[in-house]
Amino acid sequence: MDLQTEVLIIGGGATGTGIARDLSLRGIPSLLVEKGDFTSGASGRNQGLLHSGGRYAVNDPDAARECIAENRILRRIAPHCIEPTDGLFVSLPEDGPEYRANFIRACGAAGIDTLPLSPREALAMEPRLSPRIIGAVQVPDGAIDPFTLVVENARDAESRGARILIHTEVTGLIRDGLRIAGVRVRDRITAEAFAIAATWVINATGAWANHILRMAGLQIGLALSKGSMLITNTRLSERVLNRCRPPASGDIIVPNDTVSILGTTSLRAEDPEHYEVTPAEVTFLVDELSRMIPDLKGERFTRAYAGVRPLLQSEGTNDDRTISRGFALIDHGSCSGPAGLVTITGGKLMTYRLMAEKTADFICERMGLHVPCSTHVQRLPGAGHGHTLKDRLLRLRRQTPAAKGEILCDCELVPREAVDAILREGKVRELQDILHRTRLAKGTCQGGFCVYRLLGLLNERSKADHRGGSNRILKGFLEERWKGIRPVLWGRSLKEEELIESIYKGLFNLTPAEPGGPGGGEA
Amino acid sequence: MTKEEKPVPLTKLPDVCVRCATCMAACPVSRVTPRFPGPKQAGPGAQRFRSAAEASVDDWIDLCTGCRLCDTVCPAGVPISEMNMMAKAKYLDERGRTFRDWLLVRSDLFGEMAARYSKIVNPLLKKKVVRWLLDALLRIDRRRALPAYEHPTFRRWFRTRQAPKGGGPEVAYFYGCFTNTNETDVGKAAVEILEAHGLKVVVPPQRCCGIPRLGVGDLRRAREMGRRNVDFLLRTVRGLDIVFSSTSCGLMLRHEYGPLLHLPGAEELARRLFDICEYLLGLHEEGKPAATFQPIPLKAAYFAPCHLRSLDIGLPALELLRRVPGLDVSLVEAECCGLGGLYGFKKEKFAIAEEIGKDLTEAIARMKPDIILTDCEGCRMQIRHLTGLKVLHPVQLLRDALERQGEEIHRVPVESFNYLG
Repeated sequence: MDLQTEVLIIGGGATGTGIARDLSLRGIPSLLVEKGDFTSGASGRNQGLLHSGGRYAVNDPDAARECIAENRILRRIAPHCIEPTDGLFVSLPEDGPEYRANFIRACGAAGIDTLPLSPREALAMEPRLSPRIIGAVQVPDGAIDPFTLVVENARDAESRGARILIHTEVTGLIRDGLRIAGVRVRDRITAEAFAIAATWVINATGAWANHILRMAGLQIGLALSKGSMLITNTRLSERVLNRCRPPASGDIIVPNDTVSILGTTSLRAEDPEHYEVTPAEVTFLVDELSRMIPDLKGERFTRAYAGVRPLLQSEGTNDDRTISRGFALIDHGSCSGPAGLVTITGGKLMTYRLMAEKTADFICERMGLHVPCSTHVQRLPGAGHGHTLKDRLLRLRRQTPAAKGEILCDCELVPREAVDAILREGKVRELQDILHRTRLAKGTCQGGFCVYRLLGLLNERSKADHRGGSNRILKGFLEERWKGIRPVLWGRSLKEEELIESIYKGLFNLTPAEPGGPGGGEA
Repeated sequence: MTKEEKPVPLTKLPDVCVRCATCMAACPVSRVTPRFPGPKQAGPGAQRFRSAAEASVDDWIDLCTGCRLCDTVCPAGVPISEMNMMAKAKYLDERGRTFRDWLLVRSDLFGEMAARYSKIVNPLLKKKVVRWLLDALLRIDRRRALPAYEHPTFRRWFRTRQAPKGGGPEVAYFYGCFTNTNETDVGKAAVEILEAHGLKVVVPPQRCCGIPRLGVGDLRRAREMGRRNVDFLLRTVRGLDIVFSSTSCGLMLRHEYGPLLHLPGAEELARRLFDICEYLLGLHEEGKPAATFQPIPLKAAYFAPCHLRSLDIGLPALELLRRVPGLDVSLVEAECCGLGGLYGFKKEKFAIAEEIGKDLTEAIARMKPDIILTDCEGCRMQIRHLTGLKVLHPVQLLRDALERQGEEIHRVPVESFNYLG
């Protein structure tokens, strides 16, 4: 199978799918390839924070202005992906009143609304905050669901003519003299290899940018920064909580749906594929964030995860926190590289739409087209179909067999119907694809009790047996799950884990995969 | 059961639950209706989706009978029924309660009056047209027989009776509203059996324990009623043990006044409170002066009420009954009678209560007993309703089995309950 397209996009994160959507709205055909599923990279491994820009207001005013502008746009175009919680910048005695004054001034200059709060007012709003606080400032932060955001960008692009291939990995670039004329790809599930011819190849692979560029003998200055995060079992606060101090590690708590996400760290990484959350990071995050919420140490954590930020490197900076969160669009043809290859990287989830806009603007300009961007006004298809926690809780009412309200995931109240709908669409190819598109296995038990129900459903649909059956899928899932829960496995989580382990090992007779062996023993 | 040392705040209970779903298998309500999602889902599961600041949506919470079987089986020690209670309170505080519920929870107030005019009230309550009106206007199900009132009340009987001479250690008795106005013989039997054990019975001033208020999630009034009772009981009986014959009243006094309602003095009171059979069995086991029983050749079935199992005291009534010679007593293998106090009287819940009770009906049919014994008045009402058999409080049978000096009359259990069929 060989394919052809006008614009080939590599990377199914927020930026890649954002570009596909932008181009499709301008009537330009594109094809997107992603080696895993959507949001496999940093788009799915961040804190889910809808920045107001406050975090950058003092040190990086340009980034702050970009954030608040995109914040307002995203609230308009993707209201169903956003929880408008607002955020507090909380000052502890050690943070001092000076930074707070600077902060309010800088927010004003960047156009970010602020509402200064007394300690008493802040504590009334967020009772779990430390009584030591000396003040707080409210800003329009929020929580964002990057999974829905990316999937909807992709769906909208597809409905407007874009083509998307997930689990399709780029194995090489096709050169035609001084031009890049396309890519060679391989389907990671069927192992089928084929070529895609394209006029333009856009490298929107984030932390993998240099991995693609190396195929053309190129390299850009990109620092990889690992950020680790912890997830609690319940929501700790109603609002985003930030420390009111220069951006540092361990200073943000984001309420996200039923849980809160604590972050982050910033450690240099060599490889975007292989990294883990270290015990030192877990200890650091819990210690540091318990300054804001003192009883954090008794909290039940359900998972730890990390993502790798692609940071554009200027010379002579060693502290990754001081590197600008700005993005770069590089036309390799105009800087002694092959023509037809463009890299867009750096930036952050907040600016994905702007990054897509600038990339599409550039492509249009080169193609001699004058079609303006409309992604800042065109709402995403699912807008207006949000599910608040209350709506989800009401699913318990429809649990009767007659109402087909069977619930697969008890912790997150994911109904069978939601998974059925995804399967009917026919786009998912792996278990993790389903997990990216629902909140299944994202709750307290992390899938310990619901994944076998899901496998039962997949078996019914004969989706499970094309790669060696449910057993193999289950083992793969449990290995992934273990990576996430192991760093935070103590106290109450450990009790539940013992029970889950006894179910899989004792009842299902599942044996661990042998090191190096394929799949291990069969149950 | 591994209860955590420090009480965990309600919002953190989803952290304690290990999602084993044992409670889902024990819940009598979710067993019979899909409209109630079960303890794990309605309790720790739903809690993660609730926000104190927002109006609650979980209308199914009103279907919880408050039987507390979920708490009894939970291996992690989550007070699930308390979570449900708090959720129910919030839901009903926001939505308001019906006039029927307003009326039913005040039965303690009009009970005395109804007892005084029982000659008029009872035939009236029996009338089809009245039952039909109660059903149509108040949604009190007409298929449910209403308990008859008795005159004089237990309290009046106790005050006016000829108390036996002699001293003996004192014990206080909490009789409960239903014993006072509807089943006075239970109270009389309790007094007699205590006296037969050489005790002097005192009856302190007391009010409704407040458990009907919990049934409609009215924590504020339940607390008010509880506060009065704690005052009365502590003041008048400081230093005395208190026994109760009504399991649910006892559970309320002993387990809800403290942990749920946080009433000052509740802990001190709880240490003094005993189920009457628990207390009597203690006397027997400690070798204290105890009564002896004469043979009663009957086949009896004993049912352990849910709230008795919540008390975590074993089955003292059954052990005592086994000390009665000739009495062939065995345990009914069923979980819950289904009545749930006032729950089963409510039209919208009648069918659920009936369905839950089916297990019990079948178990009793297999046993073919002459008589059924159970500590809780709700269970007694429901079992009579389901089986039409004679149902007594264990103390009534024990009283009848008492060997009295100078008395050789073989007494058979009395038909003590004036039941409006």
